[in-house]
Amino acid sequence: MIPSFIKKTFLIILVSYLDYKISYGLSKIYVILPLTFLAYTFFLYKSDYSVGPLESFITGLFVDLITNSYFGHNAILFCFASYLINTYSNTFKLFSYFQICIFFGASATAYIGFSQIILNLYNFSYLTLFLSGIFNIIFCVLVAILSVYFPSISTRKI
Amino acid sequence: MARNTPSPGQKVTYFIFIALGISILYIDINSKIFSSVKNNFQSFKISSSFVLKNISVNPLKKFIELMSSKQKLLDENTMLREKLDESYLRNFLITKENTFYTNHTEVVKEIKDDLVIESFHFAKLKQIDPNIFNCCDRHRIYIEILDKKNEIFKEAMVFNRNGIIGQVVGDGSQNEVILLTDVKSSIPIKNSRGDFFCNAKGSGKANLISCSYSQLVWIDEHKIGDSFYSSGLGGIYPKDIKLGELTSIEIINSSVTKLEIELVSSPLDTNFFGVIKI
Repeated sequence: MIPSFIKKTFLIILVSYLDYKISYGLSKIYVILPLTFLAYTFFLYKSDYSVGPLESFITGLFVDLITNSYFGHNAILFCFASYLINTYSNTFKLFSYFQICIFFGASATAYIGFSQIILNLYNFSYLTLFLSGIFNIIFCVLVAILSVYFPSISTRKI
Repeated sequence: MARNTPSPGQKVTYFIFIALGISILYIDINSKIFSSVKNNFQSFKISSSFVLKNISVNPLKKFIELMSSKQKLLDENTMLREKLDESYLRNFLITKENTFYTNHTEVVKEIKDDLVIESFHFAKLKQIDPNIFNCCDRHRIYIEILDKKNEIFKEAMVFNRNGIIGQVVGDGSQNEVILLTDVKSSIPIKNSRGDFFCNAKGSGKANLISCSYSQLVWIDEHKIGDSFYSSGLGGIYPKDIKLGELTSIEIINSSVTKLEIELVSSPLDTNFFGVIKI
């Protein structure tokens, strides 16, 4: 239990650090890649059990803390993502990988949209949102392809 | 394994948490209640990263810096030593106090005529086998002549800061030098008075050359410790360069006497040489 918690915490810190590092480079091409959110939704999707709202909420608050964002920003969106994924967890089995990739890409785009509305409404840009949507879907497809070619990575338990 | 979708009760919990999140977000945006928490966390982040850096990265950085500065100092030291050797070699050719030549006025004259300086090249020692040098007949070294521009250095004289070492016998990226002590080497010598001339051959022993002559031809007035100089008759070595001092006189038979001269210069003295084409 405790090693798993430490592992998750460490992974969140690592992914958010990566997110922070790549965000500046991607912003030059009007793209936002919410790597922390995508990683968490991937974890929710791959998890054997239904992740509860409390865990999602606390994780979101922790991400808010380490990314110096407003408290509640990630907590709400992580909770909502958890709810959606848990609701459609069995329906996902009927979808193809590509459809799932579109779902994750679209949810990441929604995350960007909400974040822009909450954090900086005056800088809200449809161009960024549109380009980020395409980029995120492509990114998810690439990750899915990667898991096909390297199954040992995708089957690894967090 | 199928996962359970949220029950109505769980859906309410989700709704409560989302509502809680929204209220926290609203409070955080409109007030500064959480600023102390955030500031404390930021200060913790900064101080912990500072501590971690001090423990892990900084010692490594310092170690690398120390190594590179050490290497820099070593390189500088080598460079300075080479410069010093260069200046030693130059001094042999240009200073009046130098004992390299017996006749100082001739040195100055030669320098003024630019005969010596023009053909003067520095060379670095590339290969020498000290064991063979101390035991065997074949005394050779390999040098790399610096700044040579398609010049042929065969038969050029090689010297170090103490005197003549030998002559270049091979051309290439590395030049083979036959030392004066090689049994196949020969150098025309004379005594300090200039009334005795002889062809000294390598003895095959370190720092020793020998000269055999007939007492019937040459007067026999040598003393141990007499100085011998190059006579310049061969056309390879310049004249009046001190080669060494007489260490033994051996009368082989009624007509042949053998003189053994200990050289003032040894190829083991330095790694830097001068090459002159006369």
